[in-house]
Amino acid sequence: MRDDQQIRTDLLKEIAKCRACRFCVDVCPTYQASEGVESLSSYGRLQITKYLLNGMLAFDDPLTYCLYSCLQCRRCERMCHSKGQAIDICALIQAGRELLSARLAEGGSHAAL
Amino acid sequence: MQHSKLLVSQALRTLCGNLDRTGDPLGLKRPYWHDWADGFNLPARGENLLFTARMYPMLPYVVQATEMTAAARPLLPALGVKALARLAEVVTALAAEPLLRIKARKAQDIRRRATDALTGMAAALQRSGQHVAYLGEEEPYSGVLLYDLGMAEAVQPVIRKTGERLAASGARTIITTDPHTTFMLKEIYPQHLPGFTPEVRHYLEVLAETDLTVDEKVASRLPRKVVLHDSCVMTRDLGIIDAVRTVLARLGIEVVEPRNAKNDTACCGGPVEYAYPALSRSVAAIRSRELAEFAENVVVTCPICLINLMKHEADTGMRVWDAGEILFQAFGRNGA
Repeated sequence: MRDDQQIRTDLLKEIAKCRACRFCVDVCPTYQASEGVESLSSYGRLQITKYLLNGMLAFDDPLTYCLYSCLQCRRCERMCHSKGQAIDICALIQAGRELLSARLAEGGSHAAL
Repeated sequence: MQHSKLLVSQALRTLCGNLDRTGDPLGLKRPYWHDWADGFNLPARGENLLFTARMYPMLPYVVQATEMTAAARPLLPALGVKALARLAEVVTALAAEPLLRIKARKAQDIRRRATDALTGMAAALQRSGQHVAYLGEEEPYSGVLLYDLGMAEAVQPVIRKTGERLAASGARTIITTDPHTTFMLKEIYPQHLPGFTPEVRHYLEVLAETDLTVDEKVASRLPRKVVLHDSCVMTRDLGIIDAVRTVLARLGIEVVEPRNAKNDTACCGGPVEYAYPALSRSVAAIRSRELAEFAENVVVTCPICLINLMKHEADTGMRVWDAGEILFQAFGRNGA
């Protein structure tokens, strides 16, 4: 299994490909259900993952909610691919969770990306 | 979103603890997953293995576990987060089984629907000439929930154990009953088990290749017109789109497409029910209203979609059918 640092670097590279067109935002079911909270959209979750990885954000309750409320339904990816970007958004969010989940399961409050 | 970190942490710990202790995601020791097959006399070994991965039989327990979790949330301010989390762990380990079993008995509606769905699938497969084996009490869990929650390491022993059990069955083809298990076996298992070679097929793929039809008398027992809710995993992950349409059309049922269909389908909200029931319910409400515009009977092909959209039957006036339930209406228990 690759080490966490390599996974972080790869994740940041992939996230950097996003051109912030935001076409994926409107189709996200949790964005629709929250009546327009962008951090509960696919694009919002990518940004959260990015800033957690580069240390600009600290992992707390609201960010946990944002990351773990992703349905992994891949509707955003369908939109992204149709716009020629082809970013596997859900896979990136899932990879972010993979960095977190083991530590969350161990202890909870001290877990960080 | 308050205490979200600890609640997700708690959910992950409970899930891992349950699987470690009992091999079951709900932590139940006594088998609850094979009663539906009573009377089928399915052999334990055969070329085609029907693999439910306990997903449908689990539904009454999932509904009750979710309700119990939601009921405990108001205690958070009184007990404190850590005390409640610790309490939940102890309760889960010691008392969850009898409590869940008692409460799940009350969930008669979903229990009946889940049993009917699996019975219908097995009966339709038999009717179409497929001879299937079933592991019964020995049937393992696939580990899909661990995978979905990002527990990459914890899921590996589950995959190994389940993969070995499936391989030992001698089956060349594994016929799955839900899209989540199909995805795990088709896409994830081969990544961890290079020797995992059985062909994996969803039961609707198998049925779509047969000439399964019904006469007019049977067709009159079935809904005439249904709107189809495609599962995200079934369509976008697995690309299985036409199979259910083919099977329903052969049963004489008119299939209506909703606004978001096939690869553009909208999620039912089910995947976040374990931790965020309010959000899950809001997502399901949006999708339910959308579906109810097109027909009063809705067909789903996924147990998670079934329990999540069912919650909105009363307020939308729709009836949600699992595709397996439709097959049960058509073929009963014995495919006759």
